[in-house]
Amino acid sequence: MSHGSIIKIPFGPQHPALKEPENFLFEVDGETVVDVKPRLGYNHRGMEKAFELKTYIQNIYLAERICGICSHAHTTCYTQAIERLLGVEPPPRARYIRVIIAELERIHSHALWIGLAAHEIGFDTLFMYVWRDRETVLDMFEMISGNRIHYAMNTIGGARRDIHADMAPKIVKGLDFLEKRLEYYLDIVQTEQTILKRTADVGILRPKDAVDLCAVGPTLRASGIENDVRSDDPYVAYDEIPFNVVTHDGCDVLSRILVRCEETLESVKIIRYALDSMPNGTIRVRVPMKVPQGEVVSRVEAPRGELIHYAKSNGTTKPERYKVRSPTLANIPALCKMLQGGYVADIPIVLAGIDPCFSCMDRMAFVDTKKNRKWVWTMQQLRRKYAKE
Amino acid sequence: MAFLKEALKQLFRRPATLKYPYEKLTVPKDFRGRPIWDIKKCIGCGLCPEVCPSRAIEMIGKGLEAEIKHYVDRCMFCGQCAEICPKNAIRMSEEYELSGFDRSKMIYEYKRDH
Amino acid sequence: MGLDYAAVKEEIRQRMTTETIISLMSILVFPGAMFLFALAFFYEWVDRKFFARLQNRYGPLHTGPHGILQPLADFLKLLSKEDITLHASDRLLFILAPIFYLALPLTTLFVIPILDPTSSIAFEGDLIFVLFTFTLVIITVFLAGWSSVSRFSTIGSVRAALQMLGYEIPMGLVVIGPAIAARSLSIRRVVEWQSLNFWMILLQPLGFIILTVCLLAELQFVPFDIPEAETEIVAGWRTEFSGRKLALLRLGKDLELVLASALIASLYLGGSQHFWLIPPIVIFLVKTTFAVMLLSLLRAVFARFRIDQVLSGMWKYLLPLATLQIILIQLGLGG
Repeated sequence: MSHGSIIKIPFGPQHPALKEPENFLFEVDGETVVDVKPRLGYNHRGMEKAFELKTYIQNIYLAERICGICSHAHTTCYTQAIERLLGVEPPPRARYIRVIIAELERIHSHALWIGLAAHEIGFDTLFMYVWRDRETVLDMFEMISGNRIHYAMNTIGGARRDIHADMAPKIVKGLDFLEKRLEYYLDIVQTEQTILKRTADVGILRPKDAVDLCAVGPTLRASGIENDVRSDDPYVAYDEIPFNVVTHDGCDVLSRILVRCEETLESVKIIRYALDSMPNGTIRVRVPMKVPQGEVVSRVEAPRGELIHYAKSNGTTKPERYKVRSPTLANIPALCKMLQGGYVADIPIVLAGIDPCFSCMDRMAFVDTKKNRKWVWTMQQLRRKYAKE
Repeated sequence: MAFLKEALKQLFRRPATLKYPYEKLTVPKDFRGRPIWDIKKCIGCGLCPEVCPSRAIEMIGKGLEAEIKHYVDRCMFCGQCAEICPKNAIRMSEEYELSGFDRSKMIYEYKRDH
Repeated sequence: MGLDYAAVKEEIRQRMTTETIISLMSILVFPGAMFLFALAFFYEWVDRKFFARLQNRYGPLHTGPHGILQPLADFLKLLSKEDITLHASDRLLFILAPIFYLALPLTTLFVIPILDPTSSIAFEGDLIFVLFTFTLVIITVFLAGWSSVSRFSTIGSVRAALQMLGYEIPMGLVVIGPAIAARSLSIRRVVEWQSLNFWMILLQPLGFIILTVCLLAELQFVPFDIPEAETEIVAGWRTEFSGRKLALLRLGKDLELVLASALIASLYLGGSQHFWLIPPIVIFLVKTTFAVMLLSLLRAVFARFRIDQVLSGMWKYLLPLATLQIILIQLGLGG
């Protein structure tokens, strides 16, 4: 491979393969990728600063809007963190409601992703079919929570709305339909020759690399490593509901597709179990407006992997510091490893394979590698430095 | 070729697209549309402007003379105002077709009539 | 010295007999250029509608009854948009490429019998002429991408040239099949032979399949739409064209679709023939519409291949099968 023929191709921030803006600089020799340099931060909105300016109740809705597809995961993580700071336990019925919504969200997110992955390899028909079937999940959300995205079912101390008894038959009917369709898609993915040719042995991530580079979520589980926050560190009602952690040994994009398809089928089973064994009782407890001093870390299994929130309170009605680490950020180094040595034509499908959600991901941290210092700019420092420009 | 049968079956089904705006779906019960104030029940406690995450509610005056101004272009339809109102004066309606061209016209005012 | 206008006018009046007017009309209007443009728009509509129905959605709906005027509306809209010529591009090639891309399929369509089994222009060897046009079209695609110097265009044009290396040879081999059966290299004779005997597809089904696959690759339809893969390289070789040039490119692509389906219909399905009292042109349109729908169906049920998989697949499978077809014909099975 002669170094003289290396071309640098920029991918993004605007590119048809990326649903959200991010920049990757690919160094390409012919059709083979030699190196990848990611450049993050195009979707940075100043969320962490905004958390400090609003009260705890208002922050529920801010946390929800960190991401559209994993919105429930973010609110669950947030309310869990604040409930721990307050020393409050949500009632059992609220925990089951959170599980049901979380698993419905997982089905929705994975179904959306399967459609997108199909679109990346040029298979528009499958994309249309999956997104048509995903409408069933959105209709269920509209019935339960009043909105298709941003369901706002969580509040500090429990759930805001109840899943009434007359909703349960409709949910079960929707689940039956989804289960049939998802089984069909699982079958198609394994038998359609053109999909197999594009996804098998593409984007390899060896188990050792996956662990070293701290990959999370289905990306990690597709390399054979059984790691899932729902079973390792159970939260809400996952310790009372039996389920399997899905892993595959293929380490390629096909395994990631299979892991996600099978996880949706597992989610259907979890929702059925939760609906059958939902305890009766209240759905929320009253909480005070001021949160005592303390700091807490809370984590949940978002559809894309492990999501971590850190909160620091100081006895007032507003948090002092809030930090969000979303799963896509953890998958980026693994992504760079997967792309090296592959073809240019495989870039979109490998990128889509980690299910990137760059809106969740972009937080700014400054690293000075020469002086080995790390710091974060406050608003006053930024204003002082750049106000004159 | 596994897909062929499924694709050909679709030719005989009605398309899944909704011909909006000529055909519209009815929204379910408890849909979170635009919040509507019943100003007769309002006691002017000031909780709804305080709790709104996007500062879309403005209360003019105090107590039983208070009037409400709702900025629909800022509202995110979270329903927190309806939840916190002690007199149940706010109801989330079914309206969702709220787009407009002029932001100054997208303000709903709820005044008291004397 | 200026022109002698009076003498020129006299010359025109002498030559402009009714015959000349009729042949001019038949080249320019029916079944000439205007008719072919209308047919191109119609087949784009058929393709889009059928593709959409396979995906359980409507396709074009509101422009004209059932959206039939949508391709024309798109064309007119593109004509009115800003036409940017890049600074860094090779101006002459950049401007000429869309014009050639439009003119080549248009010219070639004249050798295919449409109105009745005798076409407007026919000569011995026009089958080879059609193959030659297909090669020229891909070279135009390559030059179009190369002259618009951006990264995505160069990748797209190189991929188009690579893909051509894959399907040209099987297509050339397989197309000889009907010619051997009809003892002639003229498409008109092939059509005449089929109206006297039976449809070529019954004799050479393997050739039909191979020709359809190669034409999918020629038209850059999925699974072979690698040169303009939207999710990988924006729009490939077409990225930098806008406004009028893009309108011409799209119309050229539609004309290529007409040419490809007309070729399939004429070589294997009997083409424009007499059937009871129905005029041959209607028969031709029905068969070509069927060919367009077949190409749309194949477009809908596959994912996109990678360029190395296309080349290895074509050389490992298509080429031996095409050779097999020719050998079968020589052995007497199929002509």
